[in-house]
Amino acid sequence: MRKAGAKVVKAKTKRALNVLITYCILIVVAFVFFFPCLWLILASFSKSGSIYSFDGFFPKEYGFDAFKSLFTDTVMYNYPRWFLNTLFIAVMSCVLGTLLTILTAYCMSRFRFRSRKAMMKATLVLGMFPSFMGTIAVYLIMTQFGLINQQWGLILIYSAQAPMGYMVQKGFFDTIPYSIDEAARIDGASNFTVFVKFILPLSKPMLVYTALTSFTWPWSDFILPKMLLIDKDLYTVAVGLMSLGETEFARFAAGSIFIAIPIIVLYFCLVKYMINGMSAGAVKE
Amino acid sequence: MANLSLKHIYKVYPNGAKAVNDFNMQIADKEFIVFVGPSGCGKSTTLRMIAGLEEITAGELKIGDAVVNGMEPKDRDIAMVFQNYALYPHMSIFENIAFGLRMRKVPDVKRYKKDDDKGHKAGEPVLDKNGKEIPIMRKYTKQELAERVNEAAEILGITEYLKRKPKEMSGGQRQRVALGRAIVRQPKVMLLDEPLSNLDAKLRTQMRSEIVKLHKKLQTTFIYVTHDQVEAMTMGTRIVVMKDGFVKQIDTPKNLYKYPANKFVAGFIGTPQMNFFEGTLKKDGDKVAIEFAGSDAKIAVPYEMLSKTTPQYLDGTKKVYIGLRAEDITLDAEKVAKSAAKIKVRISHSEELGTETLVYGDIDMNGDGFAETGTRVIIKAGGFKEIAADTVCEAALDISAIHLFDYETEESIMPRIPEYNYLDCEVVSGKLKFLGNTLDLPPAIRCEDGKGELLIPVGAVKLNGPIKAEVTAGERINGQTLLTLRVGDGRLYALADGEAESGGASIGLDFKKIILRVGRTEIAPMPEVNGLNGTFAADKGADGAKKFCLVIDGEKFCAPEQVYTKMFAATTGRKVYNSAYRYEWSPYDFAVTDNGLSAKVLETLDYGEEKFIKCAVGEEILYVKADSVSGDEVRLTPDAGKVSVVESERQIRIL
Repeated sequence: MRKAGAKVVKAKTKRALNVLITYCILIVVAFVFFFPCLWLILASFSKSGSIYSFDGFFPKEYGFDAFKSLFTDTVMYNYPRWFLNTLFIAVMSCVLGTLLTILTAYCMSRFRFRSRKAMMKATLVLGMFPSFMGTIAVYLIMTQFGLINQQWGLILIYSAQAPMGYMVQKGFFDTIPYSIDEAARIDGASNFTVFVKFILPLSKPMLVYTALTSFTWPWSDFILPKMLLIDKDLYTVAVGLMSLGETEFARFAAGSIFIAIPIIVLYFCLVKYMINGMSAGAVKE
Repeated sequence: MANLSLKHIYKVYPNGAKAVNDFNMQIADKEFIVFVGPSGCGKSTTLRMIAGLEEITAGELKIGDAVVNGMEPKDRDIAMVFQNYALYPHMSIFENIAFGLRMRKVPDVKRYKKDDDKGHKAGEPVLDKNGKEIPIMRKYTKQELAERVNEAAEILGITEYLKRKPKEMSGGQRQRVALGRAIVRQPKVMLLDEPLSNLDAKLRTQMRSEIVKLHKKLQTTFIYVTHDQVEAMTMGTRIVVMKDGFVKQIDTPKNLYKYPANKFVAGFIGTPQMNFFEGTLKKDGDKVAIEFAGSDAKIAVPYEMLSKTTPQYLDGTKKVYIGLRAEDITLDAEKVAKSAAKIKVRISHSEELGTETLVYGDIDMNGDGFAETGTRVIIKAGGFKEIAADTVCEAALDISAIHLFDYETEESIMPRIPEYNYLDCEVVSGKLKFLGNTLDLPPAIRCEDGKGELLIPVGAVKLNGPIKAEVTAGERINGQTLLTLRVGDGRLYALADGEAESGGASIGLDFKKIILRVGRTEIAPMPEVNGLNGTFAADKGADGAKKFCLVIDGEKFCAPEQVYTKMFAATTGRKVYNSAYRYEWSPYDFAVTDNGLSAKVLETLDYGEEKFIKCAVGEEILYVKADSVSGDEVRLTPDAGKVSVVESERQIRIL
């Protein structure tokens, strides 16, 4: 009996030790992840702008000066303007990109045509290359078309690149039973009617996902706008913040934090649509 | 509300796989046709081709009078019910049913929308300058939609669920909605693709009778696909049994059960499955001895009962399948005592089904009675009949219900319409003696003297001629009448188109179709089909108009429209010009002309009433009806309008 009791105690301590180790690892990981964020948030509330006036790692004094100057001091650095620029580019790219992506995905999922497989493979492989590999080519093409220093140039690039990632959407469309299309076609619907009246309503979760991804990329991209936009008034937030002087670190931090807000809001608004089970009841599984 | 016609329908996939092979069928208005067969037999593919969801590789599909091959599904005026219901999940039941109507327009005349100051009232027709109504196509009004949907819902008993979504409904209800969606449009043809497969057994039985009721009520053509032979037997007015893309038999449920054309149909229709024994038949006088392989069982039956059996199987060497249904074998002591056809069965086990008991046994005393062998036997006995295992009983066979099949081809060797009349005959100096009659052989048949056998195809017995006969029986089989004639002391089968009239008749023989074996000579029938290889080409006629021609041996024969349109339909793009074809004509479709195919005359065949020539075109031998020819060479022009075409590469019959 005593032996058995000892065994139970031993097992308990072992379990406790396991939990302890797990938590330690999680804490370390969380710290690594959240420390930069925390540091940035604290820095944005710094009273003096420069990073050199920090007391070691953290600011000496705290205040809202950086946020205030972000929106009031617009002569040198027009943050509200950049913000609107980014919003315009991101919204337009999001709308166009989503449209192109779902059309591509629908086409690949529902139609069988020659070279379909070859095209699917080609896009898959091309999609594996990081987008900035084509930067120089894109720059040259944009010069040719006279789209340098224009927001529409950026929008075109973003929305044209979006369908490269159609695979996820195609996968979703594939799960919508083809017999629904067929039933609708027999009922008298054209391909377009099938797409608009059946496929789109049934793929709301996928639409939300697609819209979110095609919004966040232009919203936070730095490389392309840096290369294509010259005029300071056309800058996006990312490029604009980079142009801030060394003494404006607090303002940089404040701008970075402020830019995260729309994405967070968007996410919370749309997440309720990203539920599954929209197609439940259509067919017998 | 329409009849369908399927002619030489093929479905060939790009990889060469043939899903449907030469499907031919005429479906009358208001029929309930069931396609049945194991999975992958092509039944669903055929249905989907009728629906327009699958392209037809070759062949002609007509709904009503219109060829619909290239037509979109929505224009074919059909409705389809899918196995998985395929309801629109985001729409209410009402919307699901109404959708088909919303997509359609109805003919009407232009009407005033509002009362106006010129005295026109809303709803009144607008008149044009000549005072005529202006025809337009308009959408269904809300009221019409509601009426039609409610009507359909009432028929199916789903009125109270119209506001629900599909996911809130049970399987049976969902299938009703799917049916409602189909009937609301009042289509010409209803297509149902295994609609009951996803329901549980009880619901399935219930829905089965409801669909039959629906068919009676709607009075429209139904085509129903299932793999369940019980559904097929209970629902269909006619059943199409398919296997591996081929039609195995098309007939009414009763005829399929009573006269299966091959072993597959025999085994597929009916539960429990028909018993198949292997064995041989040996004719001995007026008795036929049936020997069962794998057992020492042997029975003798009167030849009269097996008179339709193809005689070459009666020599005791050819292996056959002997088929007997479980209800045609009995263990009932009284019946066994009376019966002349008895075999010994060792009982292995039994299944009690309530009203009846299925007794399993083996005619091989060492067999186990479980495995499906050539000796296992299932016998239907009365309810709750207990028979101890391993007892050996005598079972009586009902020979009038026996089915015999060839061992290799598995085709029936006692078809309802026998292929040949087998007779003994004698040839004496150009005269043929059989059944107590003597006929002059025509010059085309040159045969040595002696005794031999005569094979007369049932179709070669002409119902006028020099031989006296008496019609003793007539049987209607698939639109034809099989006559049993008494000629002299023997019996002859013949075919007639109309109803049978019993009494005296006079018959003759079509000598070009008979087979005669005397001594070493064998007279073969004249082939009814002449095949020639060729290609297809476009050509400019003398007037500059584009023409399409069949090209054989370098000669061009212009094809009429009904021929070339079908050849274009069966191929994609320019492939029609690059494919090889086999063109076939009957001997009557050639004309001897001044130009055309050059043929070398090999022989003239004089069959008395008709004269033919046997000639060679290249390596092909042709038989052509021609009354007189001069010289060794003739020029032949086939009638391009009567051609039958087979595409050589894929072996597809186009015409």
